[in-house]
Amino acid sequence: MTESSLFTAAFALYVAALIVYFAALFARREKWDRAGLILAVIGLCFHTAALALRTGSSGHAPFTNMYESLSFLSWAIVVALIIFGRKPRAARLGPYLMLIVVALVALASSPLMPKGAAPLVPALQSYWLWLHVSVTLLGEAFFAVAFVASILYLAAGTDEKRERLDALAYRAVAVGFPLFTLGGLIFGMVWAYRAWGRYWAWDPKEVWSLITWFVFALYLHTRIVMGWKGKRSAIVAIVGFLAALFTYFGVNYLLAGLHSYT
Amino acid sequence: MRPFMRFFSSVKLAIVLLILITLASILGTLIPQGRGAAEYAARYGSLSGFFSALQLTRLYQSPWYLGLLLLFALNIAVCSVIRIGAKWRKAFGPAEAADAPGLMASKVRSRFRLALPLAAAGDRVAAILRGRRYRVSRSASGASVVLLARKKRLGGLGSDVVHLGLLVILAGGFTSGLTGRRSDLAMREGETVDVPRAGFSLRLDKFDTEYYPQGGVKDWKSTVSVIENGAPVLTRVVEVNHPLVHRGVSFYQSSYGYDWTSPRLGLEVRKPADASFSRSVVLRPGERAEVGDPDVSRISVRGFVPDFILGEGNKVQTRSQEPRNPAALVEAWKGEERVFSGWVFAKYPDFGQGHGGQGPSPLTIVLKTYEAAQYSVLEAARDPGANIIWLGSLLLMAGLFLAFYWPSREIRVVLEEAQGRVEVTAAGRAAKSREAFQAEFDRIFDEARRPS
Repeated sequence: MTESSLFTAAFALYVAALIVYFAALFARREKWDRAGLILAVIGLCFHTAALALRTGSSGHAPFTNMYESLSFLSWAIVVALIIFGRKPRAARLGPYLMLIVVALVALASSPLMPKGAAPLVPALQSYWLWLHVSVTLLGEAFFAVAFVASILYLAAGTDEKRERLDALAYRAVAVGFPLFTLGGLIFGMVWAYRAWGRYWAWDPKEVWSLITWFVFALYLHTRIVMGWKGKRSAIVAIVGFLAALFTYFGVNYLLAGLHSYT
Repeated sequence: MRPFMRFFSSVKLAIVLLILITLASILGTLIPQGRGAAEYAARYGSLSGFFSALQLTRLYQSPWYLGLLLLFALNIAVCSVIRIGAKWRKAFGPAEAADAPGLMASKVRSRFRLALPLAAAGDRVAAILRGRRYRVSRSASGASVVLLARKKRLGGLGSDVVHLGLLVILAGGFTSGLTGRRSDLAMREGETVDVPRAGFSLRLDKFDTEYYPQGGVKDWKSTVSVIENGAPVLTRVVEVNHPLVHRGVSFYQSSYGYDWTSPRLGLEVRKPADASFSRSVVLRPGERAEVGDPDVSRISVRGFVPDFILGEGNKVQTRSQEPRNPAALVEAWKGEERVFSGWVFAKYPDFGQGHGGQGPSPLTIVLKTYEAAQYSVLEAARDPGANIIWLGSLLLMAGLFLAFYWPSREIRVVLEEAQGRVEVTAAGRAAKSREAFQAEFDRIFDEARRPS
């Protein structure tokens, strides 16, 4: 199979998972969630094969343009969904996370995103491309989990559900924050130092990564030190994810800088 | 506590500073940084003066932004210093006094009796705790024994390690800003330049641009030799992502270009009237060559530009340093009579043919080749802050790991002799994953309670 047919198969399976998840939600059949998860796992297998094939044929890490990095980000969110959604009685994030995944994959497949694997410009030829981008996007995938849990928190009806969602959002940040720190900030600095001779240049992408990091630092400090929980915490987590999204997306299109790879 | 310390030890101050730094940083990404005054005037009109007065156009180097960062650093330092003593004692210090009623107030607790002598009961509980990898310290007073069992003790200090890492990173940043030096070294092939303040020189042996088959630059490679006391001591290829580091100075492939002051130009002279006539000469600007033909005795090049454009007042200029529209100003003479004069274009051979002394020239001159020496620009950087940054990053990650994934656990046990038996009261506390801790706690005291 070619990369694009594998990618299309993954897309179809994700859509199927989405439909099953929402059917489970509306029919109030929690057991159907399992089927949604299984479809997502099979979709992830195809998706992984597509990414591997692209890496093999282009000879470089599959995150060098918007199409590739959207594909990897959605892959990472499915991984996070599987990690956080496999426990029975876990809060039901599946439908909404899958909605984000399908939206990202659809955006990646849209004609807006050039799919050609262009040869790498000199600055990107480094194993730090793997380390920097993959770890950062994995961290952002867990921020997406915290985001969905926080949105659901604001909409939740019962205290028991709320408590579970609040704890879940915190656990997702506890995974995402160290990953984002390592991949986005530290690996980014190391690579910048090797490629450009300076570890920090106040480039808009760098500053927005720092802003994202500050927002999640606020999330942690207001919880731990000031005892914020629940609604206020959820709002900070939502703002944090939106900052991460802007760092990932908005900076490329709206602000010019060293990181303008689209 | 003095007011100064009280002010800087407040976590609320930290949160206010975080928010202020975040907002300021956002502002700095919305206003392009470090551009010329004219660009700001065009972009923001009357606001531009206001922006530059507030240093919003060089925000990240401005005293007020750096001042916020310094305040933040001071805040983190004071917060950490004030709290570290108590935290350290809690993790590593000796056991504090504990009494059974106090322990019973804890959420995670257990109480039972053992039919053993006091010392033996203490040994038994301590052994089980050690079996679960707790470090146990024991104190006895009269008819009671107190055990303090702790594990993953560093976990409690995780946030302090994170904060120390942040302080080290900030210190590294300020060190870079104050003591870092960088300069561009432009070298033609074969040229040697002194590295500023380094005590050695660098020679560019070779410069190559590699292209992909589809076009597009694959790599820039500068082969350079380090020259010390007049002798080469090492030769290395510097390319993007592969800097050369020598005696604390790093050299990065930063830019490249052509030296158009003295290109080798290949010219072909033809006569429209005589199709069989063709002479080629190779000249540099300012040189002339004898052709030795009855109609054209010599030819000279008066000037060259790589990217020809007519500027103001029809003055010839070059638009860039790339050979996009190479053009040479050529003259040809027949004895003392000028028979050709004008610009010839490599990419447009039929355009702009020169004039003779009177009327059109009897010659056609074509610019066939143009070769210039390439030069490579290496950035020489000495940045003593970088290693401090890596140290801070290491601390930051170690601290995050400790804070999130190395949760400290503490169990206190009071054993009291009562009516020939021993009353055991235990209470526990975990920094995180309390469910898992509760399970461990229950297993420990189920085992202790079971008759052996």
